[in-house]
Amino acid sequence: MKITRLTVNQFKQFRQPVTLDNLTDGINLFVGPNESGKSTLVNAIRAAFFERYKSTGVANLQPWGDSAAAPEVEIDFEWQNQTWKLQKRFLKRQRCDLLIDQQHFSGDQAEEKLADLLGYQFASKGASKAEHWGIPGLLWVEQGCIQNIHLPVDHAGHHLKSALSGTLGDITSTGGDELIARVENERAALLTKTGQPTGELKKIQQECEQLQTQLIELNDKVQRYRTSVDRLGQLLQQRDEIDSQQPWLPYRAKAKEAEAALAAAQALQNEQQRDQQALKNCHSNLEFCQQQLRDFEQRAQQLSQRDAEKTKAARALAECQQFTAQLKQRRELAEQEFQKAKDALKAAREQINRRNLQREHDRLSEQLNQLRQNHQATAELQAALLKLRAQLQTQAVDDKQLARLKALHKELHEIHIREQAIATRLQYDLQPGKSIQIDDQAINGTGEQLLLKSTSISIPGVGTLQIHPGGKDINDLLRTRERLQAEAASVLTQLKVTSLAEAENHVTQNQQVAAQIDQHQTRLQMLAPKGVDAVVSDFKLAEQQHQSLTEELAKLPDAPAGAIDERQVETALATAEAVLKTAENANYEHLRELALRERECESANNEWQKLQAELQSPEHQSRQRESLDRLSHLKAEENQLRNAIQNRQKQIDSANPAILQQDVKRFTNSAESLENEAANRTVEISTLQVQLETLGAQGLDEAQNTIEQEFKRLSQRRQQLQRRASALDLLLNLLRENRQILTRQLQTPLQKHLNHYLNLLFPGATLTVDENLRPEILTRQNNNADLNALSFGAREQMGLISRLAYADLLNEAGRPTLIILDDALVHCDGERLEQMKRVLFDAGERHQVILFSCHPERWRGLGGGGENARQWKMMAIVFAVLLLPCLQPR
Amino acid sequence: MEARFTVVQRIAALATAEAVDAVLVAGDLFDAQNLSDRTLHRTFQLMAAYKGPWIVIPGNHDAALADSVWTQARRLGAIPANVHILLEPKLAVFAEQKIAILPAPLTQRQTYHDLTEWFDGADTPADCLRIGLAHGSVSGQLPESADAPNPISPARAQTARLDYLALGDWHGLKQIDERTWYSGTPEQERFKDNGAGHVLLVEIEKPSAPPQVTPHLVGQHQWIKRDFTLAVESDLANLFAELLQLPDMSVVDLTLRGQITLLDHQRLLQTLTAVQARHRSLQYQLADLRLQPTEEDIAALHADGYVGDVVEALRQRQASGDDEQAETAREALAILADLLSQSAPEVKA
Repeated sequence: MKITRLTVNQFKQFRQPVTLDNLTDGINLFVGPNESGKSTLVNAIRAAFFERYKSTGVANLQPWGDSAAAPEVEIDFEWQNQTWKLQKRFLKRQRCDLLIDQQHFSGDQAEEKLADLLGYQFASKGASKAEHWGIPGLLWVEQGCIQNIHLPVDHAGHHLKSALSGTLGDITSTGGDELIARVENERAALLTKTGQPTGELKKIQQECEQLQTQLIELNDKVQRYRTSVDRLGQLLQQRDEIDSQQPWLPYRAKAKEAEAALAAAQALQNEQQRDQQALKNCHSNLEFCQQQLRDFEQRAQQLSQRDAEKTKAARALAECQQFTAQLKQRRELAEQEFQKAKDALKAAREQINRRNLQREHDRLSEQLNQLRQNHQATAELQAALLKLRAQLQTQAVDDKQLARLKALHKELHEIHIREQAIATRLQYDLQPGKSIQIDDQAINGTGEQLLLKSTSISIPGVGTLQIHPGGKDINDLLRTRERLQAEAASVLTQLKVTSLAEAENHVTQNQQVAAQIDQHQTRLQMLAPKGVDAVVSDFKLAEQQHQSLTEELAKLPDAPAGAIDERQVETALATAEAVLKTAENANYEHLRELALRERECESANNEWQKLQAELQSPEHQSRQRESLDRLSHLKAEENQLRNAIQNRQKQIDSANPAILQQDVKRFTNSAESLENEAANRTVEISTLQVQLETLGAQGLDEAQNTIEQEFKRLSQRRQQLQRRASALDLLLNLLRENRQILTRQLQTPLQKHLNHYLNLLFPGATLTVDENLRPEILTRQNNNADLNALSFGAREQMGLISRLAYADLLNEAGRPTLIILDDALVHCDGERLEQMKRVLFDAGERHQVILFSCHPERWRGLGGGGENARQWKMMAIVFAVLLLPCLQPR
Repeated sequence: MEARFTVVQRIAALATAEAVDAVLVAGDLFDAQNLSDRTLHRTFQLMAAYKGPWIVIPGNHDAALADSVWTQARRLGAIPANVHILLEPKLAVFAEQKIAILPAPLTQRQTYHDLTEWFDGADTPADCLRIGLAHGSVSGQLPESADAPNPISPARAQTARLDYLALGDWHGLKQIDERTWYSGTPEQERFKDNGAGHVLLVEIEKPSAPPQVTPHLVGQHQWIKRDFTLAVESDLANLFAELLQLPDMSVVDLTLRGQITLLDHQRLLQTLTAVQARHRSLQYQLADLRLQPTEEDIAALHADGYVGDVVEALRQRQASGDDEQAETAREALAILADLLSQSAPEVKA
C-alpha cells in the first residue's frame, strides 16, 4: 500500500487546504520545527480511516474556535495496482466517498471496505479509541508511543491472526479463545486451579462420605441387632431344653447324702478328740500324784538332815565359848600396858615443853637488853638532832643574799678605787702640832686626804679654805656609792649580820652543823631502820613477851631428874597401842562368831522342830496315804482310755471325712453352677429383649435401605460430576495445547522477521514472542532481559523493530502495510540511530514509511545521500509548506 | 416404597371385589426385620381394608426370629384381628371358611431341611380344604436353586394330599404342578422379565377338586430394561418411537451403544429429558455410545481451526482401549458440542 497524496482542509491548524504530494515508495521523511503541523497531518490520516464520517465526537478536528468548519481529508493511495481515492468530510456536510479505480463507494459501505482492507474496527459510538485501531494502531505510531508495544499488539491480535491465517492455513479458530474461557469457567465450577474438587463436586463428595459413614454405622448396628437376635434365639432354646429340666436337683440330693455321712464321721472325730483330751488330763494327774509322793519322801530326808545340822551347830557354839575368858584377859593386859605407855609419853612431853620455854625466855631477855640500849641511843640521837636543826635554823644564810652582798662589796671597792683616782688629793704636811681643821675635823701631821666634795679647810688662824674637787663623774660616783652602801646595809639587816665577814662566818658554821646532822641521821637509820616508833614498839612487845614467859615458867612444875628420850617413849606407846588393838580385834571377832554360832544353833533347832512337828502330824500322814490310792486309780483309767482311742480311730479312718467334704463341695458346686447358668440366661434374655425392643423400634433396616438408596443416587451423581470434571480438564488441556501449537506456528515467521532486524542492531541477538505474539525476552550474548526491563531508548528500538516485523509478516500474507512514525527514536544515541537507519532503510525496501521529525540532522543519511534526491527535494518543499501556516497570524 | 403400600391397597381391593374367602401370604410380607413403626402401622392398616382373613407366614426376610418384625408389630399392637400370623408349624383351621392351613413358617433365616415334611402326616378336618403355605425353593425346579436354602420337595402337594400349596420366595410367577404355584411379588422390584407383579386368584370348588388359578396384575410400575444399538441414521428415529411407546410410570433402564453424530447426540439428550418426565424413573447409560463428529457437525458448530483439531483428538480418544479414557473423551466431546452450540444458536433451529 502506498499513499501518493494527502490533502487536508479546515483541519485543526490547517484552516486552508494543504497538500502533500508525490509521496513515494519507501521512506518519506518530513521534517519541520515544533508546531509546524506534522502531528496534525498524522491526525488527519488517522481520522480519515478510523473516525466515522457521521461521528459527532470529532469536534476536536475543527480549527481552534471555528465551529463552522468542516474538517476534510483526502487521501490517494495505491493497493494491488488499483488506485484508491478517499474523501472524507466531518461535522458539516458529512461525506465519505471512496473511488477504487472507477468503482464508487460511499458512506458506511466505503468505511467498511477500508476497515476490512486495513484490519481495524469502528467505534460503535463516539470517537475511535485505541482498542478499535487494529493493525493500523500497531503500524501508525503516535508521537512518544513507539516504545509501547504490548497493548497495540493485543488490540491488533484478532486482525493479525485472521490476516495471517491465510499464510498459515486453516488453523485459527473463530471462537477459540472465548471457548477456552468458557471451558475454564465450567471447570472452575468443579475443580480448583490445582485440580482439587470444589463447588458442587466437593459438596457431593462430602455428602457421599457422610452417607457412607452413616451407612457403616447403620450396618454395624444392624449387624449387632442380628447377632443379638440370634443370641436371644439360642438362649430361649437353651432355656427350653436345659433349664426346664432343673438338672441341678440330682446334685443337690447327692450333696445332702454326702453331708449326712460327713456329719456322722465328724461326730466320731469329736468323741475321739474328747477322749484324747481325757487321756492327756489323766497323764498330767498321774504326773502330779507321783510328784506328790516324791515330795513326801524328800520331807523325811530333810528331817534327818536338819537333825544333823542341829548337832553340828551346838558343837560349834561350844567350841567357840571356850576362847572367851582367855581373850578377855589378854585384852585387859594390853589396856594396862597402853595406859602406862601413854603416861610415860605425857611426862616426856611436859619436860620438853619446859626446856623449850626456858630457852625462849633466855633468848627474850637478851633481846630485851639489846632493845633497851637501842632505845636509849635512839632517844639521845634524836635529841641531838633536834638541837642541831634548831641551830641551823637560827644561823641560816640565804645564799642569794650573800652573793648579792659580796657583789655589792666588790662594786663599792671599785668605786672607792675610782674615787681615789679622781679625787682631789690634799696632801698636807703640817707642822707638828699645828692643826688644821678640815671640815670641822682637826688634822695634824702629815697626811693625805682625798677630797671628793667641797671641803672647807680651816686653818686656824688663817681662815678657811674652801676646796671644790673638780672632775665630772665625781658626783655620780658619790651617788652610786651611797646607793650601794644603802643596799648593802639592807642586805646585812636581812641577813641579821653586821658585816659580810660575819655572814660568811655563819655560812661556815652552818656547813659544819649540817654535816653533824647527816652523821646523826645515818646512825639513827642504822639503829632504827623501821623508824624510831618501831624500835619503841619492838621494845615494848619484847618486854610483854618476856613478862608472860616468866609467868608461864613460874607456873610449870619443876623438871624431874634425868633426861627422857621422847622417841623411845613414843615407840613404846605405838607398840602398846598395836598390841591393844590386836587384842581388842580378836575379842571383837570372837564375840561376833559367838553370837553367830548361837543364832545358828537356835535356828537349826527351830527348823528341826518345825519339820518334826509337821511330819508327825496326822493330816500329813493321811495325805500321803491318799496319794498312793490315787496313783493306782489313775493308772487304771489311763489303760482304759488308750484302748478306747485306738478302737475309735479305726472307725474314723474307714469313714474318710476329707473325701466326704470334697464330695459335698463338688455336688453343691455342680448344682449351683447349673442354677447360675439358668439364672444368667434368664437375666440375659430379659436384657436382650429390652435391648432388641429399643433397637427394633428404630427401624434400622428401613433406615439402612433409605440411606443406601440415597447413597446410590448421590454416588451416581458424584460419578457424573467427576466424569464431567475429568472431561472438562481434558478438554481444557487439549484446547490449550492446540492453541499453543497454533501460536507457535504464528510465532515462527514473526520470529524470523524480528531476528532479521535485530541482527542489524545487535548481531546474534534474539527476541522471543509470547503466545499473544508480543515481543517478550531479548537475549544478547546469553544475557536475557524482559522487554519492560530495558532502557527507554532500547524499548523504542525494540518497539520499532517489532512493528516492522509485523509489517513484514502482513506483507507476506498479502495484506496492505503502511508505516507512519511521528517523531520516533528521539532517545536513540548516535550509534544506535545509525543502525536504526539501516533497519528503516531495509524496511523501506518493502513498505512505504512516512516519517515525521523535528530533527532533520538526526535523519541525515537515511536512504544514502544523492540517490534519493527526489525525497530530499520534496522534503524541502514540504518544509516550506509546513512553515507557511506557522507564519500566518492566527 | 410408596408403590409397595399401593400394591397392598390394590390386593385388598381385589380381594374385596372378588369376595375371596381368604388372602394367603406365603412369606416375605416385609422385606426386612427392622422397620419403622409407621411402615408397620400403615401396612396393616391397608390390609384391614379387606375384612376377610389374611393368613400370613414368615419368610426368609421376615423370619420369626427371637426378635422380629412380628414381635415388633405385636408390641405396637399393629396387627388387626383379621390378620393371622402363623409363627409355628401347627395346623390352623378356619372353620367359617372351611380351610385348614398347614403352615411352614421360617423361624430362621435359612434352613437346610424341608419344613413342609410334617404336612404329610398332619390330619385335617375332612370338610376343610387342605392348603399348604410355605416359603422356599422347590428343589430342582428353579433356575438358581441348585443348593438354595429352605428346600421344599417338588412332590409335596401330592405326598401331603394338599388341595393347594401356596409358595413364596421366588419373585416371578411360576407354576410347579397342578396344585403348586409361586405367585411372585405383587410389585416388581427388579429388572427381570419373569412375570412379577401378579397375585393369583385360586378357586377350589371342594376338597380334592382341581384348583382354578388366575393371575391378576396388581403391580403399578413396569420395570423395563432396553438395550439399543445406534448404527445407521434411522436407528435414532426408531429409538425415539419406541421410547414414546413405553407405558407411563415405568421404571426404565436404557443402555445405548454404537455411534452418533454430535448434533444427533444433542437431539437424543433433549428427547431423553422429555421422556424422563413421563416415567417413575428413566436411567440411561451412554458410556458405550461413541460420539462421531461429522464435517457437518464441525461446520454447524463453527468448530474451525484448532477447536476442530481438539474435536478430532477427542474423537480418536474415544476409540482408545482404556474405557475410562474413552468415557472421559466422550463426555468432553459432548461438553464441547454443547458449548459450541450455545455460541452458535442457529444450530438448534
